[in-house]
Amino acid sequence: MIVFTWNLLLALAWVALWGVFTATNLLVGFVVGYVALRLVFKNRPGFEDYFYRLPRIITFIGFFIVDLVKSNVRVAYDVITPRHHMRPGVVGIPLDVATDREITVLANLISVTPGTLSLDVSSDRKVLYIHAMYIDDEDALLQDIKELERRVHEILR
Amino acid sequence: MVSEFLTGLFMLVGALLMLVASIGILRMPDLLIRMHATTKAGALGGGLMVLSVAFFFDDGAVTARAVATVIFIILTAPVAAHIIGRAAYFVGLPLWEHTVKDDLEGRYDPETHTLSSGEVKDKQTPG
Amino acid sequence: MFDLVLQLVFVILSVSLALVFFRLIKGPTLPDRVVALELIASLTVGFIAAYAVLTEKSDFIDVAVVLALTAFMAAVGFARYLEKRGRRDGE
Repeated sequence: MIVFTWNLLLALAWVALWGVFTATNLLVGFVVGYVALRLVFKNRPGFEDYFYRLPRIITFIGFFIVDLVKSNVRVAYDVITPRHHMRPGVVGIPLDVATDREITVLANLISVTPGTLSLDVSSDRKVLYIHAMYIDDEDALLQDIKELERRVHEILR
Repeated sequence: MVSEFLTGLFMLVGALLMLVASIGILRMPDLLIRMHATTKAGALGGGLMVLSVAFFFDDGAVTARAVATVIFIILTAPVAAHIIGRAAYFVGLPLWEHTVKDDLEGRYDPETHTLSSGEVKDKQTPG
Repeated sequence: MFDLVLQLVFVILSVSLALVFFRLIKGPTLPDRVVALELIASLTVGFIAAYAVLTEKSDFIDVAVVLALTAFMAAVGFARYLEKRGRRDGE
């Protein structure tokens, strides 16, 4: 987190030196700052973790956006065409992640992905109840959620 | 020119998503499925439209505010869906007749408002 | 061209608003209406965004923030109320 602040400060300095305060310039400054930090602080314990994690987070966001568009099309198709192809239902997903932070992120991601909507977490934080629009194959659905959960766990740990 | 094109594109896509959400909320058979429409298409559409404002003005302060708004919209939509869905279960929620299964059935305690995890079949059998 | 797109956006949003309004009247339960209200708020945020571009006044974006915030608060309030009130038949 401290390294992230450093990176952000470098980006702000970049923007200030250019004198052009736009989002694009800030992004460029951030990338330049990341590369500079990475080159200068090689093999420092606190920094290593950040260098390793940031690309992972960005890949995750990319993966997530692709998923989002793909499944949005499916739901939109079902909304517009006259016949319903849905097989909806509420499914309880046993959770492996334990902390509140991980559960929150996971639940929000599930909600944002079309086709699934997280409803509630059991009071003992063991089961996440989700509503799914297409339960053609419950195992496949479970597998998808577990995959998402693994990625969330990898980033937050 | 480029910023105008981006503004128009984002605004149009956002508005169309909102239209899909509206058709969805009108046509979908039960509350939980309708909430799918509002939390995704609705929130994403609103977010895109606010983002298009940022492209149009292309100014630091406006961009910052627009991005903050988008993040707020995207973050609150799932939370709102969660609390409304939860409330709906306490009020009594008629589900669509083609609903395949309802794991939540009877899991809420009407007195203490806690939610039990039940005997969750760890490895759910297919079919 | 740009103006035409903007006009089209307003038309699309108006049609959407009419559709959601129909659901708001139809119900059938109170949570259904709350969800419809929430979508109406989202639509209004879209309207404000489009209007900000139309009038070229960026200040309107603040209105959008406040509206989004109020809509969320309203949804939370409704949900709390519904949960406290509990089950009631023949609504």
